[in-house]
Order: sequence, then structure tokens, then C-alpha cells
Amino acid sequence: MLEVAGLKVFHGPIEAVHGIDLAVGQGTCVSLLGPNGAGKTSTLGAIVGSVRHEGAIRLDGRDLGRMAIEDRFREGIALCPEGRRIFNNLSVHDNLRMGAATRRDAKGVAADIDDWFARFPILGERRDQSAGTLSGGEQQMLAIARALLSRPRILLLDEPSLGLAPLIIRQVFELIAELRRDGMTILLVEQNASAAVEVSDRVYVMANGVIRRAGAAAEFGDGSGLMDELTGVHA
Amino acid sequence: MDYAVQQFLNALSFGAEYALIALGLAIVFSIMGLVNFAHGEVIAFGGYSLAVVGTILTGNPLILMGFVLLACVAVAVLLEKVAFRTVRDADITTGLLTAFGVSIILQNVFLLLGSPRPVAATQLIFLDRTLWLGPVQVSSLQIYETVATILAIAGLGLFLTRSNLGIAMRAAARDFEMVRLCGLRANRVVSGAFAISGLLAGLACIFIMARRGSAAPHMGFDPVLTAFVACVVGGFGSLPGAVLGGFLLGFLEVGMLVLLPQSYGGLARAAVFAMVALVLIWRPDGILSPASEKGDKI
Amino acid sequence: MTRLNASQRRGLIGALLLSLLILLIVGLYALWGESWQARVLYAAFVNLIVVIGLQTFMGNANFAVFSHAAFMGIAAYAAAICVTPVAMKAVSLPDAPWGLNAFEMSPLASALVALGITGTLGLLTGLFMSRLTGVGVTIVSIAILVIVHSIFLHRTDIFKGNQALFGIPRIFGLTHVTVLAIVAIFAARLFRESAVGLRLRAAADDEIGARAMGVDVHRARLVAWVVSTLFFAAAGIAYAFFLGTISARPFYFNFVFLTVAMLILGGLRSVSGAVFGTLLITIGLELVRWLETGPTLAGVKLPQMLGLSGLLLGVVIVAVMAFRPHGLMGNREIEDLVLPRKGTS
Repeated sequence: MLEVAGLKVFHGPIEAVHGIDLAVGQGTCVSLLGPNGAGKTSTLGAIVGSVRHEGAIRLDGRDLGRMAIEDRFREGIALCPEGRRIFNNLSVHDNLRMGAATRRDAKGVAADIDDWFARFPILGERRDQSAGTLSGGEQQMLAIARALLSRPRILLLDEPSLGLAPLIIRQVFELIAELRRDGMTILLVEQNASAAVEVSDRVYVMANGVIRRAGAAAEFGDGSGLMDELTGVHA
Repeated sequence: MDYAVQQFLNALSFGAEYALIALGLAIVFSIMGLVNFAHGEVIAFGGYSLAVVGTILTGNPLILMGFVLLACVAVAVLLEKVAFRTVRDADITTGLLTAFGVSIILQNVFLLLGSPRPVAATQLIFLDRTLWLGPVQVSSLQIYETVATILAIAGLGLFLTRSNLGIAMRAAARDFEMVRLCGLRANRVVSGAFAISGLLAGLACIFIMARRGSAAPHMGFDPVLTAFVACVVGGFGSLPGAVLGGFLLGFLEVGMLVLLPQSYGGLARAAVFAMVALVLIWRPDGILSPASEKGDKI
Repeated sequence: MTRLNASQRRGLIGALLLSLLILLIVGLYALWGESWQARVLYAAFVNLIVVIGLQTFMGNANFAVFSHAAFMGIAAYAAAICVTPVAMKAVSLPDAPWGLNAFEMSPLASALVALGITGTLGLLTGLFMSRLTGVGVTIVSIAILVIVHSIFLHRTDIFKGNQALFGIPRIFGLTHVTVLAIVAIFAARLFRESAVGLRLRAAADDEIGARAMGVDVHRARLVAWVVSTLFFAAAGIAYAFFLGTISARPFYFNFVFLTVAMLILGGLRSVSGAVFGTLLITIGLELVRWLETGPTLAGVKLPQMLGLSGLLLGVVIVAVMAFRPHGLMGNREIEDLVLPRKGTS
């Protein structure tokens, strides 16, 4: 489904990712793990087109490498970014509408939004409230919902557990597992290795801009040793 | 009493004009951080197109008003495409100086193609008649202006809260890249903002032309200057702030004209600006500053 | 005097090179110039002092400000009113209040009074200019320009408005302004490389970062603002002392357009840029002014084209911003073209 080959990512003159290969199969959940500064967010940025990069990025064989951000989204790549980046001056409902702004079926959008409100009643209760007043966990759910409202073909999730309480983190990962069961294709970037391995089919481990390890999720056990290993790699 | 009502209407119409122009400045600034110094020349362009079309094509005021609006929208969108797209991602000072340059270019183009003296265009001055509301003598133009501005603000409010593009514009004021990550085309959002600013400028232009009856290269410069100050007082980039600042300046200016002795009339604007500067000592970021909300963006 | 650090020593070399350039131009004029060119050269040097003054604030703090014409005007009027003999003022300012037409001072004392008044106003405005952020600085600077201009126009008893205030003794010649321009170049270079200049430039790149390092950004901005008004004051005094007659009109937007274009063309961040921009635009405008009058070229009488020079200034600003946002010089100074910098790129 999504294939990345020889991807290099640049921040100004600095090369942050040094030619990595990555593949996400249809209907699978793939994790990209690694410590801070490994180049995970840069990789996602390259896939959505928000940072300068070289190399091939193919979605079902179509090369997206030269497309603008908007066009890649329209090809079916939705990003739920690091730090959530919900529009905190907009209402909860308007945030969701932004996610569905490219869709033409107003009825379908309204039905999908109602589905999300049924799933997370708190969002429904705060429908017309400014999204900035939501708690971190609620904002995370809103951000995921916003990304999914476009009915993307692949969802990119950047550190959805960042800064959240353990209980909320569990809810986030339950949602991811549910999405995966429903057949959503997901590329998940995480530092929380054990939770990520649990919901994934395949795992890539990244450090210092290169992929260090790759394999089926089962090969990583419960992922608990991974973090120590990673910090070791990092140091 | 009559005098008070008259002056109140006066202040409302001044404020309405400033609010229209300030809104146009604020919507562009909120989205792309551009301080659009060329906004006054958009108004002047509207004035000249009224003069030209009114002379050679038609004298029908309704068609002419529509044409002025269209001309202002077209030139605002065109300026964005030609001049401001290259500096879209640049820092504020670069954008500001570019707009400053565009403003100088347009003023001098008007000077070269037109003339240093105002060009008469009296097709709209019929809007400015004297009416009697009971015992109170008012200008019809002031009423039109106030009502049209209130309608325009309401319409803009609906657009910004109901339509996808409007919501995207508000969202873009906070996080433009995230708007693009929702699949909305950057060019469309920015062009939309310029189109709206042009439309508001066109509306202001109609009223300015109805009052002046002539177009001149610098006709837009002074009202835009005051509108800028209105934006700063309201909190630059805040749309409610622009409206508030516009009306505040209208009332201050009329207040100064009323309070200052006749011989000091020339200093009314200077006095208003000085008072505004004092407001800024109290609140350096303006009254309704959006800056306080910036902090929670990670 | 404390020992200079490496970049300050380079600054002195750079200022020396720029001064030689100025002297070279004056030398060329002295050898082959025609007398009307003295006026052009004088105006260019007055503009140069203003542009350098602009650079000290705009370039180091990275804010666009447009109030310089106002400060220049204040100094020009202050100096003119002080230095004009009482007998002359009885004719030129018969209605002046507060006994303004009942005293006269020496040129030096007049210049000092003008510097003092302008500097004090610079300090007062600077106290809140330095606290404003981003766009506010620009807009309030415009407000200052408008306020001062309105006062010039309104108080005709003191400033004569758009009429000329005449009879100012013509004390200055080309030599004086040349010396003043060279002093300005040295002062601006030393300021740029001084601790305050360095802090300001750091804060312009990253204000939060600079604050975190303990830089008092407001204070640094205030110092730069006051220093720049002193440059404008010097230019205003030189202007009044040379022309012998002043009016409010030149101290407004057209002059602001001109000087800002000069600074932008050369590059706001460098003093050498300010010098080159001023010289280039002066030369360009002399050519265009000649075209504007509708000359006969190769037998064809060209039409009179008012506004051409303004158009050129606008085009210069837009083109530079689009293609070379940091101007011709960018961050470089003249000595960087001659002596490669060690260590850094």
C-alpha cells in the first residue's frame, strides 16, 4: 500500500533521515519506534509533504514525492500530527468539519460526525465549545477523529500518547486496535514501545535517521526490552 | 440633543468606514501575516475604475457599484498572485516592505496614467443627501454606510462560521499548515482572504467616492492609515478587534472634532493617534490581542 | 578606551573603506564635477546619514519604522529657529509664540539644542516603542510621523506649514556634510559591533532565546531607537544649515519612501548596504528625474512622466524583497568582500 524507498529528509541544510525504506501493507498497522530525534516525525513529515525530502514515496504504486501537501491528502494520506494541533479557536464541531472539508457528501459527513459523537460522548456534549477547552485526551481523540473524517486510505499517527495520563493512553491504544480491526491502514510513530508493539503487525525501529531493526511485531515480544535497547542505541 | 444625534451618526459612519477597511487588513494579516500597505491603493483602483467606466460605459449607479466591488476584488486577488505569493513564507518585515513597495508602485501608476489632480467621478454622490429624521438633520450616506457595514460584518460572520472556506480561514489564522494537512488548498484560502478584503475595500470605496466625488492617487492612503491604527488598537489579526478598533477610532475622531476648538480641527487625527499610542502603553498588543492564545500551540 | 574585539576591529576597517569611498566621490566631484552636482551630492550625503540612522534601528532590531522623517524635521526646525537671526525672524516668523523670534544662538549651540530636543523626543517615544511588538512598532512609527506632520502644518506661526521658513544662515557646505557622513559611518559600524548592537541582532533572530540568555531586549531597543533619532537629528540640522530654507513637505511620506528604498536595496542588516543603497538610488534617480521632465532623446521628444521616480522606488523595493530579501549586501559588510572572515562561513 504505502511504500517508502531511499527516503532522505532535510531540515534546512541538515539531513535528518538518511535514506530509509519502509512499507505498510493494506489493512495493517505498522509502528515506527525510536527515541527522540531519531527522525520519526521527519519521516511522517516527508510522507505528507511538509518537509523537504528526496526518495520515493508510493501509495498503491503512485509516486507522491513531488505532490503538494494538499494533493497528498486528497490521495488519501491523513496525518494526526505530533502535539495534536487541533484548531483551538474553532469549536469541536468545526474541527471535525475541517477534517471533512474535502468531502462533497454533506449527509455522509454529518452521519460520520454523529458516529464520532456517539463514540466519544464528551465531544458531542462539547460540540459548540472551543476545542481549546478540551482536556489533552479529548483533544487527542478529536485530532484522530478529524484525521479520519476525510475517510483516508492510510492514517499516520504521530505520538498519540504524548503527554497523556496512563488511563487515557490505554483508551487511545484501544481506539487504534479497534481501527485496525475495522481494516484501517495505520502507520504509528511512538516512543511508548510496548503499547505500540501490542497493536501492530509490523515494527520498525529507528535511531539517528536510519532504520535499525525491522520485523513482525511478534519478534519483539511485548516490546518492553525495546526501550532500553533504544536508549542504548541512542547513547 | 439634535447636535448629539448628528455627531453620533457621524461617528458611526466614520467608524463603519474604518471598520470595513480594518477588517480587510485583519483578515489578510491573520492568515498570512502580511501587513497589507497596498490596501489603500485597492480602494483608489476602485475609485479610478468608477471614473473610467462611469464615463465611457454607463451611468447606472447600481451597475457601477457592482463594478467597483468587482474591480476591488479583482485587483486584490491579482496583487496577491503577482506580488505577495513570493513572500508568503517570509517574515513579517519582508512582507510589510513588499506591500509598502506595491503601494508606492500603484500610487505612481495612478499618477502616471491619471493625473496628480483628482479625476471627477460624481456618479455616486447622489447617495449623499440631507434627510430629516423628525427634527434631526442627517446625511443619507451616513445611514447607508452604517447599515451596509453592519450587514457586511454580519455576512462575513456567517461566512466565517458556516462555510467550509470560512472555517478554514479561521483555522488558518491559527495553524496554516494544519489546514493544508486537511486537504484545503493554500492558494484558495489565501485568494479567498484577499477577495474578501477586496470586497470590503470596494464597499468602503463606494462610500468614499460618494463623499468625495473624485478619484486621486492617494485617496485610499489616509483612511487605510487610520484603519491600521484601528487594527493595532484592537489587536492586530483579530477580526473582532478590527471592528472594535474601527468604531473606536471613528468615535475618537468625531469626539476630537467636537471637543477641540475649531482652529485646532487639523489636529484631530494627530490627537487620535496620540491617544491610541497611550492605549498601547497600557496594552502593547492591543485590546483584543490574539497573542495571548498563541501560547498553547505546541 | 577598552580594547576592541576582533569584529570591532573589522568594523573600523570597514568604516575606513566606506569613508574612502565617500572621499573618492567627493574627490571626483572636486576634480571634474559641475557646480550643480554639489547640491545632488549634498542631498545624497544627508540621505546617507538618515539611511545609516535607519539601519541602526531597523537593521539591528529587524523592525520596519517610518518615523525618521518626523525626527529629521523636528531637528531641522529646532536648529533653524535657534540659529536664524532675530532681525530675520521678525520677517519670517512674525507671530511666533513664547519669544521664539526674540533670540538667536550660535550655530553650534543651535545644533546642540536641536540634538537635545530630538534626542529627548526619541527617548520619550522610545520608552513605549521598545515595548511594542511586531507590527505595532511600524504602525505607531507611522502614527508619530502623521502626528508630527500635522503639527508642522497646523502651527503655521512656528513652522510655516507648507510655506517656506526662510532666512536660515547657510552655514554648511559640502565639506561639513562629508565629515558628518563619515562620522555617521564610523558611529553606526561601532554601534553594530557593540555589545548592544550584538544583543539586538541576537534578539531580532530569536527574541525568546535572547531573553532566556538574560538580554534586556527592551533596553537594547531603546538605546538603538535613541541613537537612530540622533542620526536623523544630525541629518535634519545639516539639511537646514545647507538649504537656508525649509518647509514641512519634505519631512513626510515621500522622503520615507525614498530612504526606506535605499536601505532595502543595500540590505538592512549592514551599514555598507546602507551606503551602497543610498549611492545607487541617488544615481538611478538622477537619471530618472531627467527622463521625467520629458527630454528629447535621439530626436524624439519624450512625454513628461510624473511619478516615474516613485515607480522606480516601488519596483526596487518589491524586486529586492522578492529576489534578494536581504538586499545586495545581506549580512555582509564591505570588509567581508575584501578580507575573508576567519573561522565562520
